Amino acid sequence: MESFIFAMFNGVLYGMLLFLLASGLTLIFSMMGVLNFAHASFFMLGAYFAYQISEGLNFWAALIVAPVIVGLVGAGIERWGLRPVHRYGHVAELLFTFGVAYVIEELVQMIWGRVPVPYEIPDVMAGALFTWQGFDYSIYRVFMLVVSVAIFVALFALLTYTRIGLIIRAAVSDPIHVATLGHDIPRIFMWTFGFGCALAGVAGVVGGNVLGTEPAMAIQLGPIVFVVIVIGGLGSLGGALVAALLIGIVTRLAIFYDYGVGSLILALGLEIDTAGMLRDFTRITTAQVAPVLPYLMLVLMLIFKPRGLFGTRDV
Amino acid sequence: MALIKWVRTFAVMLPVVLVAFSARGADTVKLGLIEPFSGPIAAVGRDTLEIFEFFANEVNQRGGVLGGRHIEIVPLDNAMNAEKTTQQLRKVIDDDIRFVSQGVGSNHALNIIKFLQRHNRRNPDQAILYLNHSAVTTSFTNELCSFWHFRFDANVDMKVAALVTQLGRDPSVQKLYMLNQNYAYGQAFQVAAQQMLAERAPGIELVGDELIVPFGKVLDFTPYIAKIKAAGADTVLTGNWGPDLVRFVKAASEANLDASFYTIYAGIPSSVAGIGAKDGIATRLKQVTEMHENDPLYDQQPAELLDTYDRWRQQTGKSIYSERMRWTIEFFAAALNKAGSDDPALVAAAMEGMTMEGPAGPLVMRGADHQIIFPMVISTMAEDLERPYIYEGDNYEVAFATDGWIMSDAIELPTTCEMKRP
Repeated sequence: MESFIFAMFNGVLYGMLLFLLASGLTLIFSMMGVLNFAHASFFMLGAYFAYQISEGLNFWAALIVAPVIVGLVGAGIERWGLRPVHRYGHVAELLFTFGVAYVIEELVQMIWGRVPVPYEIPDVMAGALFTWQGFDYSIYRVFMLVVSVAIFVALFALLTYTRIGLIIRAAVSDPIHVATLGHDIPRIFMWTFGFGCALAGVAGVVGGNVLGTEPAMAIQLGPIVFVVIVIGGLGSLGGALVAALLIGIVTRLAIFYDYGVGSLILALGLEIDTAGMLRDFTRITTAQVAPVLPYLMLVLMLIFKPRGLFGTRDV
Repeated sequence: MALIKWVRTFAVMLPVVLVAFSARGADTVKLGLIEPFSGPIAAVGRDTLEIFEFFANEVNQRGGVLGGRHIEIVPLDNAMNAEKTTQQLRKVIDDDIRFVSQGVGSNHALNIIKFLQRHNRRNPDQAILYLNHSAVTTSFTNELCSFWHFRFDANVDMKVAALVTQLGRDPSVQKLYMLNQNYAYGQAFQVAAQQMLAERAPGIELVGDELIVPFGKVLDFTPYIAKIKAAGADTVLTGNWGPDLVRFVKAASEANLDASFYTIYAGIPSSVAGIGAKDGIATRLKQVTEMHENDPLYDQQPAELLDTYDRWRQQTGKSIYSERMRWTIEFFAAALNKAGSDDPALVAAAMEGMTMEGPAGPLVMRGADHQIIFPMVISTMAEDLERPYIYEGDNYEVAFATDGWIMSDAIELPTTCEMKRP
């Protein structure tokens, strides 16, 4: 039971980190129809900026300043890069963001080098907050959870209760009418893009020191974020939250409860094939396939419910 | 001011340029180095090239080989792509280069071994010799062994033998957890460790034995740490490298896992940078290598070698990590001189059974399978050492301190190689 709760805690935590990333991506998609391939690169930029700022000042400054800079970079890329490409359609936009991802990776390698940078958890949060049933719950992980939950609540409130949220939601469903009412749609797009990137930046600041800050981090995290928004339903914030938590928890539990194909066969009262053709198959355990499970969920979701859990439009 | 600076730079560079030109002008012995010089792990390839060029230059400064000829390193980029490795081998043939070296990635090494087997059989008068400086798959010196392949690094089984021997010596090791990457190398590590634990450390209980999806696919190792904790392990044995090692160690430290980590590749500079002093020391992180800069034997090495090391550090801003690459060059030069010819078949024959003085005992190139045998050292990450890690001018303020040496008799393993000589 104690290990179940520990696995759940880490699952929820990882899920919330994925949500921070996916929320920005899904916001940009629902608003502009752009699938931002460079999204995980902004996550990486967040981590690198946070490292640089915490070297000069401290972690708390990084937590505030780094996402702002990432957001401004994102807004700039939208204004001077994506906007001119917009009129050539979604494929051109997709290719543009694809290129941006590579450019950012190369720039990061030029500035900070190809080896990982020592971006560490701040000393004040290094220890365990509490130890329960033999498992340490570190201060920093609890802090990550608090930050991500706070951002979810703030984001939800922003979109639901404020005038800005109202305009954004209106621009999503009916951009022409909103423009007719005198709102500057390109400007709204620009700031939405920047805001989405800033959210990825926050994820980079709080996640970079746990996952490791290196040039390959964007490529490694990129695919899983797309899985989250497809399973959750493109453009659905609630869907992204549920999908992110689902992926986080399922992969954690699969690693922890290490059931194999072999144990399933035993449970069915059959004999295990230990020498024949299927011997490698019977040795597969859930822990080994855990990182692949999200992609399996993606495939199944696209087959049986192409709009995702809460999606309102087709992929 | 700027002009003066340029003039100075030019004055400093002039002899280097002249030497470079004269080296090119004379008849050189070319060694093609096939490594990734572009792509995501280009840094590894460039580090390798830097070491090769530096130590080839050392040999050249001493008077070269074969009565004054220079060794010239020819970099050939494979971009970590197996097909490009083959393309570069064709280029090697076209340019009449007769010696190649490679080490990053056993799949490329396998490619080269198979390619040269065929090529050298069909073109005996254009044979090419392969000096493998780091590819560790054991079968290259067992069932796949070739007369045209020499390995200057210990293979996986030998490295595991060294680690397990040290585990058996350490009375605090009671319950061991193994975690490895699920591909050829990780599986080979796992099988070798299972076998050697039974032979050399039967008192140690194996409480977990796990394979993970390799190459950075696992982002968060916390659930594995929870399993290790639940299993009550006091020691972890892993062959992981790169991000799979960095994240594993960092997650263990963050969860306050009280266990020692026995690894092969913890000391690679990029891994040391990624793990950092705090997490490495908290996990009592250990590596197995041919030597390291803070071993007590370091200062007992020949004075001219220590001078060379100092020059290396000054010139490149990097620590000495891969002695085996220097050995590759030294063996190559010695074999050329011993053969008195740059005919690859004669050089290969000269290299068989060749020995050189190592820091803790002789380095022996075993003739039976072309596998080098040498004592290895287990060391633990520590602070406040005389020579902390430096990499491209950054000081990591951490390095490794020796736990113990494993002598050659405990590392040398029988071979199944049936060498076919031309």
